[in-house]
Amino acid sequence: MMFSSSQFDAVSAFPGGGSMLSQQSQPTDSPFSSAKSRETQGLVPVTVKQISEASQYGDEKSNFVINGVDVANVTVVGMVFDKAGRNTDIGFTIDDGTGRIGCRRWMNENFDTIEMEEILDGMYVRVNGHLKSFKGVKQLVAFSVRPVTNFDEVTFHFIDCIHNYLQSKSQLQGVTPTQMQPVDTSLSPSVKSASSGYQTAPSSQFSGQSSNIDGVKSCDQLVIDYLQQPASIGQEKGVHRDELSRQLKFSVEKIMESIRSLEEEGLIYSTIDEFHYKSTQCG
Amino acid sequence: MDTSNPAVFVNAELLRLYVGRRVRAVIQVLRSDGGVVMGKSTDENQIVVKGSPPAPLSKFVEVVGIADSEKSIIVEVWSNFGDSFDTHTYNQLCQLANGEFKHLFL
Repeated sequence: MMFSSSQFDAVSAFPGGGSMLSQQSQPTDSPFSSAKSRETQGLVPVTVKQISEASQYGDEKSNFVINGVDVANVTVVGMVFDKAGRNTDIGFTIDDGTGRIGCRRWMNENFDTIEMEEILDGMYVRVNGHLKSFKGVKQLVAFSVRPVTNFDEVTFHFIDCIHNYLQSKSQLQGVTPTQMQPVDTSLSPSVKSASSGYQTAPSSQFSGQSSNIDGVKSCDQLVIDYLQQPASIGQEKGVHRDELSRQLKFSVEKIMESIRSLEEEGLIYSTIDEFHYKSTQCG
Repeated sequence: MDTSNPAVFVNAELLRLYVGRRVRAVIQVLRSDGGVVMGKSTDENQIVVKGSPPAPLSKFVEVVGIADSEKSIIVEVWSNFGDSFDTHTYNQLCQLANGEFKHLFL
């Protein structure tokens, strides 16, 4: 069978449940679990423009999605303005040339105070922080604010943003730009691989032997990935199979095959009718 | 949050396309002369930047301001970018930020 149930048990053991998305786009990505909770993500390099377009979901004020990827902590490089401090916290604005966003740094420890003392208006800084929404306005709760000393860092940051964007995009589509290498054919093929020409790598995909990044994802994997995106989970009635067909670029027949297989595994279920499906693993 | 007034990454070639718009560019300072600085853009052309630069001025400076002609910028903000800077990479960033990935910036 395609999926071993142990893979999903492991993921649900993550604190906070987390939303199950394909691998986050960090350079040190492990080839293991194809889904990470928000907490294990790391800093995502973004422009303020990207933050402004981030969509939110769920009840919490910190569920953001940028380029189809769950984002909690970000890193931004820009200029400081309007720094205004108190003993308890310091607020400032960051302008990175694509937009301005309000930031707040809580003075929890000496380290916070000392670091913020160095920061002056007009300075280029790298801010690492947590994305939050307050009264409908997106903000950064900063936990690190560091002056830029080598200005190649500015160039680097924006290239990093582009790179991260490309990685998120390719992971969403289930295919990376660098490859189309066939998966090792010595692996036992799944029943469904024959007609479509896609090679499926069963449980080895999740055991770390063949990384998702290097392999071609099967239709089943793409369907379940799509249904586990926060946008899909957020829809009560689930996703229509025509939408899956359109978005993933498979024929409806192929999609239905995958749906049947995933349903048998207990990974998805139909909702209002036999055309709408939802993942059983919710974030 | 405010993305109403972004500054476009430009070199000399791109500056021409954004006359009247808010732009940002890194230049190598060639000459500084009473309110006018002659700079070399990251694509090896000359740009005139107008305003009151800070003193001292480092070799590389980032200027943010309004492009008032195809070859000049009226500067609002000057930032010293030090004496060593990778202009080649910055130049490529300008091209990417105005091309395929423009939507991440503007």
